Amino acid sequence: MRRKAINQILLGLLAILIIFWSLAPIVWVLISSISTRAELYSVPPHWIPHKPTLEPYKIVLITGEGFRGGGGISAAELMRKGILNSIIISVSTTALVMIFAPLLGYAFSRLTFKGRNLFFYIIIGIIALPSWPVLIGLFSEFSALGLLDTKIGLILLSFTFRIPFETWFMKGYFASVPKEIEDAARIDGCTHFQTLYRVSIYVVLPGLIAVSIISFLFTWNMFMAPLVLTYTLRSKPLTVAMTEFIGQYFVHWDLMSAGTILAIIPPVLIVLFFQKYIVKGLSAGAIK
Amino acid sequence: MLKKFSNWLDNQQHLALAIIVPVFVLLLTFAYIPAIQSFRFSFLRYNIKMPARIRFNGLDNYLAVLRDPMFQRSILRVLYFMLLATVMVIVISLAIALVLNRKFPGRGIVRTLVIIPWAIPPVVNGHLWKWIFNGEYGALNGLLFQLGIIDSYQFWLNNPFTALNLAAFTFIWRYTPFIIVLFLGVLQSIPGELYEAARVDGAGAVGQFFFITIPSLQRIGAIAVILTLISSFTVFDDIYALMGFDESTKTPMIYNYEVTFEMGRFGKGSAMAYMIGIFLFILTFFYIRMNLRKERP
Repeated sequence: MRRKAINQILLGLLAILIIFWSLAPIVWVLISSISTRAELYSVPPHWIPHKPTLEPYKIVLITGEGFRGGGGISAAELMRKGILNSIIISVSTTALVMIFAPLLGYAFSRLTFKGRNLFFYIIIGIIALPSWPVLIGLFSEFSALGLLDTKIGLILLSFTFRIPFETWFMKGYFASVPKEIEDAARIDGCTHFQTLYRVSIYVVLPGLIAVSIISFLFTWNMFMAPLVLTYTLRSKPLTVAMTEFIGQYFVHWDLMSAGTILAIIPPVLIVLFFQKYIVKGLSAGAIK
Repeated sequence: MLKKFSNWLDNQQHLALAIIVPVFVLLLTFAYIPAIQSFRFSFLRYNIKMPARIRFNGLDNYLAVLRDPMFQRSILRVLYFMLLATVMVIVISLAIALVLNRKFPGRGIVRTLVIIPWAIPPVVNGHLWKWIFNGEYGALNGLLFQLGIIDSYQFWLNNPFTALNLAAFTFIWRYTPFIIVLFLGVLQSIPGELYEAARVDGAGAVGQFFFITIPSLQRIGAIAVILTLISSFTVFDDIYALMGFDESTKTPMIYNYEVTFEMGRFGKGSAMAYMIGIFLFILTFFYIRMNLRKERP
C-alpha cells in the first residue's frame, strides 16, 4: 500500500516535469506578451508580471505604427492581413481535402477500374518525392502561370502535397470498415455516388475528421513555400508576415511575443479539442 | 440529361476517372513537372538575375557543389545535427511515453498538452526560442543566473557550437510529441496478459521492460528513427527563424535556399537540391517499404 502511494507521487512529479517541458516555453512567451517593456527588460526577468497589460496586442493588431522598409504598410496591417490570408488559405485547402479525400479513398478501396494500381502509386509517389527540388521548378512555373503571389496558387499547392497522405489514409480507413451496409445500399438502387454520400461518409467520418484537421495544421504552419512564392500582403500568410514583422521589430520582444501567441492560438485550440483525432491520424499515417 | 449523366457516372471506370483526373492534373502541374523542370535547370548555367545568359553546362553544377567547401561543411554539420536530434528525440519520447502509459489522475490532460509543441508552426518555434536564448534579456539566462549556474548572462547563439546544439534542441522539442504519440500507440496495444504471464514466470519490472516492452517497440522504433532522420535533415523553418543564414547552423537545406533564392543561382541550386533529394529519397524509400510490408497479409 505504501509502495503504491510512493509510486503515485513519483508519477505525479514526472507528469509535472513533462508538462513543464511541453508548455514552459509557450507560457513564457504568453507572459512576455502581457508584460510592460520595463518589466520584460529587467535582469533577471519578472517571471510574473506585476502590471499585466494588453498593450502589445493592441499595437500588433490595431494601432501598430508604420515601420522602416514597410513601404507605408503599418505593422498592424501586416499582421491583420497575414492572419486573414492564413485563414483563407488553410480553410480552402481543408475544404478541398474534405471533398477529395473520401472520394479518392472510396475509388481506391471500393471501385475496380483499369490503372488502379498505377494511379495509386503515382499519387503516393509524391510522398517519396522530396518537396525541396520541386520548389525551385515551381517558382518558374508559378511565374509562367501567373500564380506567383496569389492565394489560389498556395491553396492548390498545399492541397497537392497533402492529398497523397490523405488518400493513403482514407484508402486504409475504408478497407478497415465493413462493406455490408454499402452493398445493401447498392442493392436498394443507390448509385456509387449516392452510396458514398448517404452511407459510407458516416462510416468513415472519424477518419475524415482526422485528415481534415491535420491538413489544416499543415497549411496553417506552412512557411518555406510561401516565403518563396509570395511578395505582398495580397497573399502572404501569417507565418511569413510575422517573420518580416520580427525582422523589423527586432528589439520589441513584447510585440514579437504577442505575434507568436496569435500565430499559435489556432493550432493550440485544435489540439485541445481534437486531440483524439490527431493521435489517430498521426499514428495511422505513420504506421499504416 | 441529368439521368443519363448519373448513369454514365455510375460505371466504376467512369466514376474513378472523374475523381482521379482532376487530382492527377494537379499532381502533374505542381509536383512532377516542377521536379523535372528543376532537373533540367541542374544542367544549365542559370542565374535568375541574368536570364539572358542561360546555357547548357553539363555536370558542371554537380561538380561545383561537390567541390564547394561550404557545402562540404554543411553536410558534416547536418550529420551531427541528425545524430544528436535522433538520439535525443528517441530517448526523450520513449521516457515520456512510458510515463504516460502508466495510470495516474489527470493522465488524459497530460496526454493532450504534450502534443502542443508539435502543432505550432515550425517558424514560430524558431522565433519563440530565439527570444528565450536571447543574450540580453532571455529567459534561459535569467533562469540559469537565478539558479546560480552562470555568473553572467551569455550570448548563447554567438558561439557556433552552442548555436548548432541549441538549433537541434528547438527541433527536438517540436518533434518529440509526434514520436511520443507513435510509441504510446504501440505501448497501449501490448496485451496486459503478456505482463501477467511474465510475472508468473518470475520476471521483475526490469525483466518485463527488456523482454516485453522493448521487443514490442522494435518495429515502431525503426520507423521513428527513419522519420526523425528525414525530418531533422529537412529542418528549414526553425533554423531560418533562429539563426537566418548564419554559418554556424548552415545545413544543406539552409545553404541550398541561400544559393538558390538569395543569390539567384538556379542552376547550382537545382543541382544541390537533387543531390539532397536523392539522399532523402533513399531514406523515404525505406520508410515506405516498411509501411507497405505490413499492409500485405
